[in-house]
Amino acid sequence: MIEIRHITKLFKNHRVIDDISLKVNDGEFMVLIGESGCGKTTTLRMINRLIEPTSGEILIDGENVADMDEVELRRGIGYVIQSMGLFPHMTVEENIMIIPALEKKGDKRWLHAKVMSLLEMVGLEKSYASRYPNELSGGQKQRVGIARAFANDPKIILMDEPFSALDPITRSDLQNQMLDLQSKAKKTIIFVTHDMDEAIKLADKICLLQDGKISQYGTPEEILRHPANAFASSFVGENRLWSSPEYIKVKDVMIKDPICIDPSTPGFKCLSLMMHKRVDSLLVVDPTNHHYLGIVKASHMRGIDDDTLPASSLMHKGKHILNEDDRIIKVLDIMNDHHRSSLPVVGNDGVLKGLLTRSGLVSILSAQYATHDPNNDKEDD
Amino acid sequence: MNFFEYFSKNISEIFSLLVEHIELTIIAVLFAIAIGVPLGILISRFSKTSKPVLAIANVIQAIPSLALLGFLIPLMGIGVIPAVFAVVLYSLLPIIKNTYIGISNVTPDTLEAAKGIGLNKAQVLFKIQIPLALPVIMGGIRIASVTAVGLMTIAAYIGAGGLGYLVFSGIQSVNTNQILAGAIPACILALFVDFILGLIEKLVTPKGFQKAKAKKHKPIFSEKFVRINERILLIVSTILIVTAFLFSPIKNALAGSYDITIGSKDFTEQKILGNLAADYIENKTDLKVKRKFGLGGTKVCFEALQNNDLDFYYDYSGTAYVSLLEHDPISDVDEVYETSKKEFKELYNIEVLSQTSFNNVYCFAVRSDTTEQYNLSKVSDLVGCASNLKGGFTFEFCNRDDGLSGIEAAYGFNIGSVSNQDGALRYVALANGNVDIIDAFSTDGLLKKYNLIVLKDDKSFFPPYYAMPLMRSETYAEHPELEGLLKTLGDYLTDDVMQELNYEVDEEEKSPETVAHDFLITSGLISA
Repeated sequence: MIEIRHITKLFKNHRVIDDISLKVNDGEFMVLIGESGCGKTTTLRMINRLIEPTSGEILIDGENVADMDEVELRRGIGYVIQSMGLFPHMTVEENIMIIPALEKKGDKRWLHAKVMSLLEMVGLEKSYASRYPNELSGGQKQRVGIARAFANDPKIILMDEPFSALDPITRSDLQNQMLDLQSKAKKTIIFVTHDMDEAIKLADKICLLQDGKISQYGTPEEILRHPANAFASSFVGENRLWSSPEYIKVKDVMIKDPICIDPSTPGFKCLSLMMHKRVDSLLVVDPTNHHYLGIVKASHMRGIDDDTLPASSLMHKGKHILNEDDRIIKVLDIMNDHHRSSLPVVGNDGVLKGLLTRSGLVSILSAQYATHDPNNDKEDD
Repeated sequence: MNFFEYFSKNISEIFSLLVEHIELTIIAVLFAIAIGVPLGILISRFSKTSKPVLAIANVIQAIPSLALLGFLIPLMGIGVIPAVFAVVLYSLLPIIKNTYIGISNVTPDTLEAAKGIGLNKAQVLFKIQIPLALPVIMGGIRIASVTAVGLMTIAAYIGAGGLGYLVFSGIQSVNTNQILAGAIPACILALFVDFILGLIEKLVTPKGFQKAKAKKHKPIFSEKFVRINERILLIVSTILIVTAFLFSPIKNALAGSYDITIGSKDFTEQKILGNLAADYIENKTDLKVKRKFGLGGTKVCFEALQNNDLDFYYDYSGTAYVSLLEHDPISDVDEVYETSKKEFKELYNIEVLSQTSFNNVYCFAVRSDTTEQYNLSKVSDLVGCASNLKGGFTFEFCNRDDGLSGIEAAYGFNIGSVSNQDGALRYVALANGNVDIIDAFSTDGLLKKYNLIVLKDDKSFFPPYYAMPLMRSETYAEHPELEGLLKTLGDYLTDDVMQELNYEVDEEEKSPETVAHDFLITSGLISA
């Protein structure tokens, strides 16, 4: 566990880091994010003591880093930086194994075997071992940089904007690779970026910094859903949620006040209500506690001769009832697989929360991407 | 004699001077590397020190080399040590500068990565900074080495040998072949050094830098073939250098067991005198003599004598009296000699031995057509026509009280225009008609070579210039037999003899060694 306690850093009386405290648990992928100059890289570099804090302390597994030998400390922490991190006069193999070789962790054969497994781990062919950095593409260099960070089997890996100089496709590849690696290796990773998409994609926890202070620290979802302050919401961005569909929930897109009726409402009245309100389904709720009872759809009314029958005998309970915290991805699957155009949303206590309709979904989603307000027409299907 | 004849005749001397030159250069460059590279690294660490250190190195670079030697002789004497020291100083700037640039140009990102993954300071320096800076550092060493080859010619000026000896001697005696025999090997050596160090520079350039460049054009030979050949070349040149050191004159000089050291100034007569004395002493005694001939002038010789680098050398009574003892010039032979003898003993603890028979006095020399034009035969004839004449005089003659200004005042004339020309060049200038009148020494062989007329000093202005050995008192006490030997030798050396011997060297291009040795035999001083 990494514990940062009240660290402050002054550069010529300018307060770059202002009383930051946070904890990172073992195996956690923590992303430090913020605008340039917010102190994210400074914070990162204080962990391996490339920068010493003016005050405060950093503990790794309970031990203060200031009391540790700095070279020893750094060898126990993997370190990846944006560019030029590889030594141009060394081959890929020499670059990766420089520290294990210095520490004489094994003989030549052992070191070579280790390089081969690391190359495989980061998705590079073995033949790259004998190449020089200037013969590699940007993405390949970063893969080698990652392999080097893993070479000494560290528990902790620090990554300082490792992918920011790459083209979007390569960057996305490497992010996926990183997720894959982390799912197996379970390292404690501190990752600096200014790219919110990257942070959301990779992080278990996000720490948003502003002017040397923590603006918000939490899971990506917490930050997306509940920005703690104006800065957080502006940094996260108004539409951020909609570009991360895995975080969209039913409650974000459902119709919160669907047309409800009592179970006793007769059929003809249901029909006229549908016509009048231009909807194709009505929700039947218990008038006393608003518990969900069933749904009456226009399609159910066809072929029913007696239009005085109450809604309670016309309604269907429905096989698929949604919870408002269900992820939208899952709901779309259900709608597609079962050809449902609308699904009720019910809370754990049985109370009706809303209705999710295919047309409502389309209009809400399109509102996030369209530049002008879409019309609010709700059409039958 | 054309150049190739001269070259093949003197090949062994040229070769040994070349070897000496190579050794001096290598020693100097190695010292410069040993000082310059750590200094460059140091100033890249402590950037505040970089400006003053580079400024000092720049200033040293700007000091004229002969002036620097002038400073060094009183401190370090003459010979190999001050010569190497001077060249080391001149070689420092490019090495320090390139090391500094090479080390500080390693990108901060690379350094941060090195530090961040856990290399300690020494490992960052030796594993990252130095390997990355090596091509630039080697570039500096290459520049320094090539410069050092050229600069090392000044070593001859203070008796350290090397190819400069041939160049200086050649200039003194207007022997173009001799100048070329020194200059051409020096040029070839410089090119060779440049080439070899270029190869080393390429070998130390990290492969990571080379490959990207090499791909642009397809090489005629495979990369491997070229690399192997480069290595072979380097090994061969290393072997050559090591061999040179094993058979080196310097090694002999350093290990050498000599009893006395004789010096001479850098003109022909001095070298003949030195050789005569050395050969004669070696023949008549068991003493082994070290010869330090061709030193750059009175000052260098006298300093060397005081620093115990020399046991004795020949100076001239007038020079000793006026330049060294700083008296006003007088023309009384006995007074000059007796005063010198007394004062050298008192002031410098130096013995003045008996004078030789010849008087190498200053004189004016002119072409025969000038004597006809102005009807000249003696110095007082210049009074009417001096303002029409162009003079070419040595620096020394212009600056001495008993030189140009003195004689102009004594006779009452002024030479029309004066240019400074040193050594034998003024004879060439006179023969070519660039100047009309020069200062000369009465025994100069060049007077005979160019058929020049000497004007008679009818008012006896010039002080006497009899050659006389100046000897350290310790040497005098230790080897009392020398006084008698040198007197015997001196009695043989008359004006005519000396002019003839000078002529044989300057005109017939014989070496001073040969001329001296032959004279000792033909005159019966030593037996063949």
